[in-house]
Amino acid sequence: MTYVITQGCIDVRDRACVDECPVDCIYAGSRMLYIHPDECVDCGACEPVCPVEAIFYEDDLPSDQAAYLKVNAEVFADHGTPGGSVKLTDALTDHPIVAAVPPGVPTQE
Amino acid sequence: MTTTDLGFPGLAGVPAATGKLTAKDFASDQEVRWCPGCGDYAILKAVQSFLPELGLRRENMVFVSGIGCSSRFPYYLDTYGMHSIHGRAPAIATGIATARPDLSVWVVTGDGDSLSIGGNHLIHALRRNVNLTILLFNNRIYGLTKGQYSPTSETGKVTKSTPMGSLETPFNPVSLALGAEATFVARTIDSDRKHLTAALRAAAAHRGTALVEIYQNCPVFNDGAFDAVKNPGTRDDAIIPLEHGRPIRFGSDQQYGVVRTGTGVEIVEDPADEDVLVHDAHAADPATAFAISRLTDAGVLHRAPIGIFRQVQRPTYDDMAREQLAAAAAETSDRREALAGLIAGSDTWTIL
Repeated sequence: MTYVITQGCIDVRDRACVDECPVDCIYAGSRMLYIHPDECVDCGACEPVCPVEAIFYEDDLPSDQAAYLKVNAEVFADHGTPGGSVKLTDALTDHPIVAAVPPGVPTQE
Repeated sequence: MTTTDLGFPGLAGVPAATGKLTAKDFASDQEVRWCPGCGDYAILKAVQSFLPELGLRRENMVFVSGIGCSSRFPYYLDTYGMHSIHGRAPAIATGIATARPDLSVWVVTGDGDSLSIGGNHLIHALRRNVNLTILLFNNRIYGLTKGQYSPTSETGKVTKSTPMGSLETPFNPVSLALGAEATFVARTIDSDRKHLTAALRAAAAHRGTALVEIYQNCPVFNDGAFDAVKNPGTRDDAIIPLEHGRPIRFGSDQQYGVVRTGTGVEIVEDPADEDVLVHDAHAADPATAFAISRLTDAGVLHRAPIGIFRQVQRPTYDDMAREQLAAAAAETSDRREALAGLIAGSDTWTIL
């Protein structure tokens, strides 16, 4: 199981969650942050600090954000488990679903 | 039921799983209840991911805990387990390990449970060298009872029960274990999955009592206690990595080294290569391992050795107890007569 970052993070990238994560499993793409599902320890520290409430537990994902479970997993397809965002030297390329979201579109209702 | 040599001498005699298990097989259906951000989540996840590697039947694993936040651990693992009596997990585990050589026995405990309430049980398990693995979650605070000082809290620590600062000198769990004749002592960090897993692997392989101290952050009542060894910016200068057979060097530029002094060891900047102590976890005499353990800050943690301090072989209590039982049983063929002899005894008094 894992926590998942959803659309609300796009072009926000506040990073409060990054500071909070005890296992450093939140990685930055150029438009949003992603939680590595294999490194997340389900501790829940990130969820309350997100200023746009974009983080959900896997089981609590709103139905319109369900695709982001896949987004957070697939974005790491070429990276394996780096073991902490400081260890990832290559920049994380945003997931196509994220890249396709037009800039300036309100991402949170 | 067959037993297979899986390369873990500590687990010889424990039956192998018939199929391949995964981390999910070791997750129970219970909702995990610790505070958000608790280091216990990271340890649970690491243990669940590591256990399949042992290749053992889940039915032959037992996790015994005492009382405290860490002691909720057995609920979340789909193995046998017992949330037992405060501080007494090592005693219960000793009984299990002695009676059942076909079980892999683990103790999960915290700094309060194992060093305060159960201090005696811990040291005697270590001294006896019972074949079990003790995971000591050290967060340097009483978390479950909402923030009183623990036996590992630093002197001067202000908590609810020490409003003017703790007057006590804390225990160093590694030093304590080495003094209690432990045959395996390691220290690791909750958030370093790779190191934690390696420590678990070595501890499981060890036949005898293995103590693994895990630095575990309590984000609510003692947040940041281990920041020095966790933060990417400071950890290179804070962690003294111990690897058997390797010179003990550390620092962002490997500028520090541990060297021998007349009576112990000390940290020296830019030491000559030949002066740097080569770590020998297998040394028969624990004196050097003890000296290395003293490099841990007793106050606010700025620096600590991490890794396996000591790993030596010594006959285990449970193996020897079973041998004694077998020898005693082989001595007599008439059990009734043996019992009568025992009751009459050899040391009787006549009361006048």
